[in-house]
Amino acid sequence: MDCERLREEGAELALGILPARERAEAVAHLDRCPDCRAYVERLTAVGDGLLALLPGAEPPVGFESRVVRAMATAPTAPTAPTAPTAPAAPAAPAVGRHRTRWRRFRLAAAGVAAALAFGFGGWAVGTVVEGAPPVVAPGPHVLEAALISPERAGDGREVGRIYAHPADAEGGNGWVYMSVDLGDVRAVDGPVRCLLLRADGSTVPLGSFPLRAGYGYWGAPSPVDPGTLSGARLVAANGTVLATAHFTTPEVN
Amino acid sequence: MGLPLERVPDEALLSGLATGDPEIAVAFVRRFQRSVYGVAVAVVGDPRLAEDVAQQTFERAWRHAQVYDGRRGSVRAWLTAIAHNLAIDAVRARRAVPVAPEDLETLVGIVSETPERHALADDAAERVRRAVAALPREQARALVMAGIYGMTAREVAAFEGIPLGTAKTRIRAGTIKVRALLEREETR
Repeated sequence: MDCERLREEGAELALGILPARERAEAVAHLDRCPDCRAYVERLTAVGDGLLALLPGAEPPVGFESRVVRAMATAPTAPTAPTAPTAPAAPAAPAVGRHRTRWRRFRLAAAGVAAALAFGFGGWAVGTVVEGAPPVVAPGPHVLEAALISPERAGDGREVGRIYAHPADAEGGNGWVYMSVDLGDVRAVDGPVRCLLLRADGSTVPLGSFPLRAGYGYWGAPSPVDPGTLSGARLVAANGTVLATAHFTTPEVN
Repeated sequence: MGLPLERVPDEALLSGLATGDPEIAVAFVRRFQRSVYGVAVAVVGDPRLAEDVAQQTFERAWRHAQVYDGRRGSVRAWLTAIAHNLAIDAVRARRAVPVAPEDLETLVGIVSETPERHALADDAAERVRRAVAALPREQARALVMAGIYGMTAREVAAFEGIPLGTAKTRIRAGTIKVRALLEREETR
């Protein structure tokens, strides 16, 4: 996709209604074109603004208690790796490096890596665009894995998450999205390469993307059927393996 | 002692959901339920289904409270976007056509309604409302179908009985015009 085509379809992308194949092409273009990315960012405000115009409505009697009861009995409890900001002290939220890192990972873990990968704001586009792959949780056919730094494998800490979405029903490419944060210890600036690993041991170069201070996120169309994928590897410009991932069944519902 | 829950900022209340405190959950739901349910019922039309969508919205917000990133928008915008997404999915699972013609007309009227009380306001929502109101009717319809009902250009074309290219043009023109009007007002 070139800039002219992107400008034609930018509104549909911003409103989250572009069909899967065109969306993947558009996102790949945005990944390498800051001007078009800025263009689509501006348009996302329209979709957000439309939702804000919908009038509020009072839900049926008992809604509040039903929701709270459902929260209390839902099978997946929220995790809180850091102390949550206590409502009693809202003026002093703990927004340190660790919290920021963790937020980034939770974003990925909740399946919104796609929105991050697009690199533009706006909740509407962020959530609607990812609607083809499900919104908050990866679907059963989406592969998901932790990116583990070889130097950190021992302490079990992730340095990112990676998702491999299957091709759509029309036979378009699948996508791979990832979010990486190497943390304070290994602040890396510059491009990193992503290699996909097949179950037969072969590797497929997917592309490269920049990390800034060890942090970055990226999405790209993938020529590899997730059914044959076994993992992925992130490699620095000097050949150092920064992180590896081994795909298993999705862990987030 | 802290603030009463009614006065706790939105972001702090959302963070507090992770504590599992039912009082915080009640305060959170109470604060946002009208917005969430409003989006749900506008998109799905059916109150019972809208209630399900709204409930799922809060459950997801609760499960992923830590996901929220204030740099990307307000808590209310985040919740309404989740509700919007779920509502579109719910409609698609049940109906071939996402909207009835009369419902579309009603909603176009709502989002472009500019009585004096709206015209005097100068918040972001009212600027969007004025911009939508300034669109040719067919572009406003296309924008509502795409932006609220989540209809693709192909679906808009089928609904309106127009060529696909015309539907795409209406969606694009409506979006760009609204954005341009908003930017013009923002720079005043």
